Amino acid sequence: MHRIWAIAENTFKEGLRQKILILLIVFSIILIFISIFLEPFALGESPIILRDLGLAAAALFGILVVIIIGSNLIHKDIEKRTIYTVITKPVKRSEIIIGKFLGLLLLIAILQCAMIVIHQLVIFIYEGSFDLPLFITIPFSLLEIMILLGILMLFSSFSTPTLSAIMGIIFFVIGHASPDLKLFADQINAAPLKYLAYGFYYILPNLENFNLRIDLVHKLPIFTDQIMFSICYGFIYTIFLLYLSIIIFEKREFK
Amino acid sequence: MNTAIRLENIYRAFKNHFWQKKKEVLKNISLEIYQGEIFGFLGPNGAGKTTTIKIITGLIKPDSGKVTIFGHNVDSMEAKKRIGFLPESPYFYEHLTGYEFLKINALLSNYIDYKDRVHDLLEKVGLKEVANLPLRKYSRGMLQRIGIAQALIGDPDLLIFDEPLTGLDPIGRKEIKDLILEQKAKGKTIFFSSHILPDAEAVCDRIGIIIDGEVKEVGELNKLLKRGIKTDEISLEDWFVSKIKKNHA
Repeated sequence: MHRIWAIAENTFKEGLRQKILILLIVFSIILIFISIFLEPFALGESPIILRDLGLAAAALFGILVVIIIGSNLIHKDIEKRTIYTVITKPVKRSEIIIGKFLGLLLLIAILQCAMIVIHQLVIFIYEGSFDLPLFITIPFSLLEIMILLGILMLFSSFSTPTLSAIMGIIFFVIGHASPDLKLFADQINAAPLKYLAYGFYYILPNLENFNLRIDLVHKLPIFTDQIMFSICYGFIYTIFLLYLSIIIFEKREFK
Repeated sequence: MNTAIRLENIYRAFKNHFWQKKKEVLKNISLEIYQGEIFGFLGPNGAGKTTTIKIITGLIKPDSGKVTIFGHNVDSMEAKKRIGFLPESPYFYEHLTGYEFLKINALLSNYIDYKDRVHDLLEKVGLKEVANLPLRKYSRGMLQRIGIAQALIGDPDLLIFDEPLTGLDPIGRKEIKDLILEQKAKGKTIFFSSHILPDAEAVCDRIGIIIDGEVKEVGELNKLLKRGIKTDEISLEDWFVSKIKKNHA
C-alpha cells in the first residue's frame, strides 16, 4: 500500500505543479462568477442559471483536467524515461497504474471541492444562504471522472497522448449521448442496426448515470436506487478499465 | 563462486518501423557476473551495452535466452529487491526536491521508516545542502549523484550503473569511483558500462567487451591485457582500441 501511496503522491504533486492547471482553475472560477452577471438575461430564472452554470463549470474543469493531464500520465514517464527508476524497484506494474490513477483522482477531487465551495460562496453572496445539497454532485462527478480516467489510462498504456486525449473526448461525448443511443435503438426497425446500437449502448459507458445537475438545480427528487446503481456502475466500469490497463502495461517494454 | 547475474544465450532484435527489417542487437550473448565483484561492461556506441542492461533490469525482454539475478527470474520481486539501477543520462521527476525524490524511492524500495535512510544517503552523495531544491535546478553531476543515491536506497546486493561516469568532471568521477569501491568493500556486486576506459581500469575486477552485439572477451583485466601482447605496459584504452580495429578489419 505504501508503494501505491508513494506513486499517488508523486502524481498528485506533478499534477499540482502543471501550469495548465492554474489556467483551468482561473477559467472555471471566472465561469462560476460570470453567472452573477447573467441575471438581467435570466427572466426570473436567475437561481437556476446561478446553480447550473456553477456546477457545469466545476464539472467541465474536472473533465478538462482529466483529459489534459490523464492522457499524458503514463506516456510522459516513458518518454522522459523517469519510469526506468520506478519500474526497476520492487514495485508491481499494477501498483504503478493504481497509484497514478489515485493520485490524479485525488487532485481533481480536492480541486472540485474547492470549486463547489467557491460556487457556494457565490450563491451566498447572491441569495444570503448556502445551497448545501449541491455538494452531492461532487461524488457523482468524480465517478464520471473515474471512468474517463480509466479510459485515458487504458489508451495511454499503449498509445500516444494525442490518441488517448481524442479517445477520451469521444468517450465523453458518446457517454453523454447514451440515452439518445438507446432511444435510437428502440425506434429503429432494421435488425442489424438495432442490435449494433444496443451493443454500443451496453458496452460504452453511460455517463448520464452520473449527471444529477438537472435534478438538483430543479429540486427534483433523487431516488436511493438510482444513486446505488450509479455508484456500483461507476466502480465496476472503472475496475474493468484499470484491469485492462494493467494487463497491457504488464506486457509493455521500455526501449 | 556464487553468481549474481547469469545471461544465457540472450538474443534480441529490434526494428524501428514495421516496414523495416529487424536489426540484431544482441546475438546470443552469455555472461556470468560473480557476487562481490566489479564488472565493467565495455564496448563502442551501439554495441548493445544498454540493451543488455535493460534486459538485466527487466525493462525489456529478450527474444530468446534466459536471465537470472541471484538465481531468480529477472521479473520476480525477489530479483527486483536485490537490484539498484542507475540509467544512462538519468531523467528524474523535475518537480520533486532531492529529499522528496529519495523519499518516494525509499517507499518504493519498502523503506517505510525512510527519514534516516534518506538523510544518510543525501550526506553520502554530498547533496545534503541542496536537499530541498527541486531537481530541475540540479547540475549534471548532482543529478548523477542523486541517481546513485536512489539506486542505493534499498541497500541492494547488486548495483547496475549504465555509464555512471559520463558527463562528470574529474572530482565527480573520483567520487563515483570511490563509492563503487566502497560498495564492493561491503560485499556488493557492481555491474557497470562505461566509455571512460582509464576509470574502468582503475576499479574493475573483470571486464567484458561487447562489439556488434557479441561478447568478444571476458576476463580479469590483467590477464586480458597481457594476452598475446609482449609488453607489460599497455593501457586498457590501447588494448580496447586494438580490439575494435581488429574486429572491423
